[in-house]
Amino acid sequence: MRLSLTARLTITFVVITVACFSVVGVLLFKAVTRRIYIHDQTNIMLDARHLRRLAEELRSPDDVIAHKDRLIALVLGDNANGLRVIDREGRLLIDHVPLGYELPTQPAIPADQRIVPESIQSWKDHDGNEIRGVATTATLKDGESVTIAVARSLADRMALLDKYRSDVSLSLLAGLLVAVLLSYLLVRRALRPLRAMAESASAITAQRLSKRMPLQDAPTELLALATSLNEMLARLEQGFARVWQFTVDLAHDLRTPLGNLRGANEVALNRHRSIAEYETLLGSNIEECDRVSRTIENVLFLARAESPQFAMQRVVLDAAQELQRIADYFEGLSAEAGVTIQVNASANVYADRDLFRRAVSNLLSNALRYTPSGEAIRLRAANTEKGVDVSVENPGKGIEPEHLDKLFDRFYRVDRSRSDSANSTGLGLSIVKSIMELHGGAVSAQSAANLTRFTLHFPPMPPAALP
Amino acid sequence: MRLLVVEDEKKAGEYLKKGLEESGFTVDIATNGIDGLHNALEEDYALIVLDIMLPGMDGWEVLKRLRAKRDTPVLFLTAMDELEERVRGLELGADDYLVKPFAFVELLARIRTLLRRGPPRDVEHMHIGDLEIDAIRRRVRRGGQRVDLTPREFSLLQLLARRRGEVLSRTQIASFVWDMNFDSDTNVVEVAIRRLRAKIDDGFEVKLIHTVRGMGYVLDLEYEDQ
Repeated sequence: MRLSLTARLTITFVVITVACFSVVGVLLFKAVTRRIYIHDQTNIMLDARHLRRLAEELRSPDDVIAHKDRLIALVLGDNANGLRVIDREGRLLIDHVPLGYELPTQPAIPADQRIVPESIQSWKDHDGNEIRGVATTATLKDGESVTIAVARSLADRMALLDKYRSDVSLSLLAGLLVAVLLSYLLVRRALRPLRAMAESASAITAQRLSKRMPLQDAPTELLALATSLNEMLARLEQGFARVWQFTVDLAHDLRTPLGNLRGANEVALNRHRSIAEYETLLGSNIEECDRVSRTIENVLFLARAESPQFAMQRVVLDAAQELQRIADYFEGLSAEAGVTIQVNASANVYADRDLFRRAVSNLLSNALRYTPSGEAIRLRAANTEKGVDVSVENPGKGIEPEHLDKLFDRFYRVDRSRSDSANSTGLGLSIVKSIMELHGGAVSAQSAANLTRFTLHFPPMPPAALP
Repeated sequence: MRLLVVEDEKKAGEYLKKGLEESGFTVDIATNGIDGLHNALEEDYALIVLDIMLPGMDGWEVLKRLRAKRDTPVLFLTAMDELEERVRGLELGADDYLVKPFAFVELLARIRTLLRRGPPRDVEHMHIGDLEIDAIRRRVRRGGQRVDLTPREFSLLQLLARRRGEVLSRTQIASFVWDMNFDSDTNVVEVAIRRLRAKIDDGFEVKLIHTVRGMGYVLDLEYEDQ
């Protein structure tokens, strides 16, 4: 069963209250019972002692009868008390039992024995009420002995305790009701900030991601939650903004080749052309299609790289060999640009082969674009404390600091007008970043006045992969 | 050789039929899965090009039912570039696949590879006109003159020569020669071809390396140059 927090807390409070009340009630009841018991015990014992002493002052059984009122006076004033005195022959000298219960005279404590609480007997009358009493022998002045029995019915005590018990139970019930009501109200009040948070959270949608949880009324315990929720919202908002920007840029990037396609075809259809012209047009059409395909392929790669199921085959790569292979791949291109590529590597990289090549190729083709003729691009790989760094370094006009951290954003181009957008999709560096994130590494860019360096930071090789 | 193309999109079907017929094949078209399966079971085709998204019966089902009876080679086309998709196709008994959009030359190359049966001819000495390639010593002569090539240029020439008369796309070339298996933004292949052509064709009357604009490159004695 799913219980609300309010219900849970209320039930907890009520259980605690009832438990406390019960314990206190039971303890008080026991204490009262005990007090009354001790009180009655003492009274019975003192009455018996007193009566014996009085009897010992009297001369004979007849004298006992004569002083009947004086003896009875000792137990008078409480109907529950009873007194019976008999002589040795069993003659009833005094019989004062207002409630009429049994008052046995045996066993009797001998006259020379002290009466102690332990001597007190307990029995029941015909209604089942407890009677407590004691019998004792007293020696009169004439040497005769009488037996004195005193007792007290506990019926009124029982009634009192019963009343007390039901009072305590009633207060318990009342306390329970008050506890339920108070805890419910208090808990509701205490949870109000939580409900407020839920309400403000429900107002947040993809269109209104700028809304935040109110922090001013939140209690300390919820402040941390609200703060981290707000931070999450900030990240989501940023993410949404990026996706939105990405969509806009993507649409723009697809619009350009489509515009070229349409325009070139319309112009071509305007009048009759030579076969050669048509062929040139068709070739150019295919190039534009390739450009669209490449953009789509790159976008799909970026999307897939974010999925946790992305399949990678990491192996131990000899960086020197791999970098040389990539340098070979760019051999022609760099020779035409009058740029040399120098490889200086001494490290193993644990990476997916194709992804590694793709990342370095993207950096290298980027570097080639900005390296002046006659200069050299350096590919390096070296072990560092934190893993392996693979860097692509090129001389040439540096990148302004304000562009550096945006370089890896999708479709970000430092100079939109200058970039040869026909060849570059503007996604190359984002793909590098994605590839590095897949490897648990990172990419960074540094640029000084005449030198730009991109570094791929690979994490250290896991022990299992060590050759 | 007779091929069956099962493709529901009219334009795609038309250009595939046209392109394949111009490359020397006889082509039947089926525009839905049920007709496709029927044709594939009744007729004798050298190869079937099968689209996956089809009305009536999808490509997977066609492939499964076809494989129960015949083992005609099947190349499937998919718009879904997901690994599971490709694995599923190959597990169901397809022989190869292509992800849409694809370059027509790529399709042609795949079809030819599937039909060739057996590994591509690995010839020690190749002669194309006055071009001689010695695969063992990795030496090249043109018109009796020794031509100096870098190792990669040699690999590139060897690839083109082995696939003589066949148009090779830039992606194919990058993959075969440099083992770079991704679409690059750069014109590396273009430049490599240009440099190779300077060494092989410059100064000779007969050009051997030809550009097929928008599609790729081909090496042959005669090719309608553009």
